[in-house]
Amino acid sequence: MQQIDEVSDAQLVISIARFSEVALAEAYRRHGGAVYGLAKRVLHNATEAEDVAQEVFLRLWNQPDRFDASRGSLRSYLLAQAHARAVDAVRSSASRRQRESREAMRTAEAGYDMQHEVWDLAVAEQVAGAMAGLPEGERRAIELAYFDGHTYREVAQLLGQPEGTVKSRIRNGMRRLRAALADKGVRGVDA
Amino acid sequence: MMSHEQASELLGAYALDAVEGEELAELERHLDECPRCRAELDSLRDVAGALGTGVETVPEGLWSSIAGRLPERAPEETPPPMPRLVRRTAGEGGSRQRRGRRALATLGAVAVALAAVAAVLGVGLINANNRADNLQRAATARSSTVAAALHTPGHRVVDLRDGKHMLALQFVVVPDGRGYLLSSHLPALATGRTYQLWGIGTPHPVSLGLLGSDPGEATFTMAGARRPTVLALTAEPAGGTAAPTGPILATGAV
Repeated sequence: MQQIDEVSDAQLVISIARFSEVALAEAYRRHGGAVYGLAKRVLHNATEAEDVAQEVFLRLWNQPDRFDASRGSLRSYLLAQAHARAVDAVRSSASRRQRESREAMRTAEAGYDMQHEVWDLAVAEQVAGAMAGLPEGERRAIELAYFDGHTYREVAQLLGQPEGTVKSRIRNGMRRLRAALADKGVRGVDA
Repeated sequence: MMSHEQASELLGAYALDAVEGEELAELERHLDECPRCRAELDSLRDVAGALGTGVETVPEGLWSSIAGRLPERAPEETPPPMPRLVRRTAGEGGSRQRRGRRALATLGAVAVALAAVAAVLGVGLINANNRADNLQRAATARSSTVAAALHTPGHRVVDLRDGKHMLALQFVVVPDGRGYLLSSHLPALATGRTYQLWGIGTPHPVSLGLLGSDPGEATFTMAGARRPTVLALTAEPAGGTAAPTGPILATGAV
């Protein structure tokens, strides 16, 4: 019998589909911090980020079959969900909130899986390195789109560049990141 | 209609949720039809996932808020505990395993090893329900052990067919005697019943293990000097029996 903390993410989702709350709790333990963290980074608001994290895990509970393990990791799936929701929230607010300066990412305390945390820190570090290696224009476009929730057209306006240029820069930057992360052996990223 | 080149150009922005409006709708239509773009998108989403990976202090009440909103739980039940923060040591949680072993020994199938039925997280196949089935089957098809078995030289796929020659179960069996469930077309049994797999061709039918009421994932091992030549399936009371009591539902030559 496998221990709950040893089963794969795909197996966890199957157990969630069988209404195992223990499995959902384990998924939260593994990925809750990252989901909440990304939502907070986009939203700059802890309460709204909690709402997003709740919705993401409730959706996993209610519609586990939406996750397709053959198309990517559970982590990528949950983060994509969190990001889409956070971005929706940002865009729907009539006046964009005054953005606080980015908070330095803090070390997690209780409530989150140590092993995953260590791994997350390592990934975050490698991503930071890979981002730093991007040409300035590509890095800026990706940051504005992903972390500030702008569409690529908005990014073009903000940067005073043609839309086509921004579109290409995002794509090229993403591909460059993929190659750099795959090169460093970041789990889940293949060249 | 968006061309493949146009779509491909947009995938980076799409993976970052940075495409909107009519353009988004057209891109999604293209994605529905273009496996190449879907594969590219999947891999860019992994990049976005890495990009979004940070470490943040999780608010204390977040898990209980989630647990409190799970609709399937009856109100009088206690909410699930906070996720465990320390890894369980190897000693803990062993009692279930030991109980399982004793139960198996009483089956009289001592010489032949057990079936590790996918009693995932102790929830087990008995509580299987439809929404889990597709996932389970998909995962089974994908699972690395099954895939590895299919790549093992000398492997054989054993079909178990019913009286009408309809395919009921497929196993892939590798030369060392291990078998893995490849697919199941069996109807789910009532609660309290389980499918049981038997090896025949030995002096007595030997239990190869329980498959649960709705087989999703299972492995068995045929050991010993005399290996079964035929696999047979019966339905038995949950917990299994030492010798088959029900009618043979399906058979297949190894």
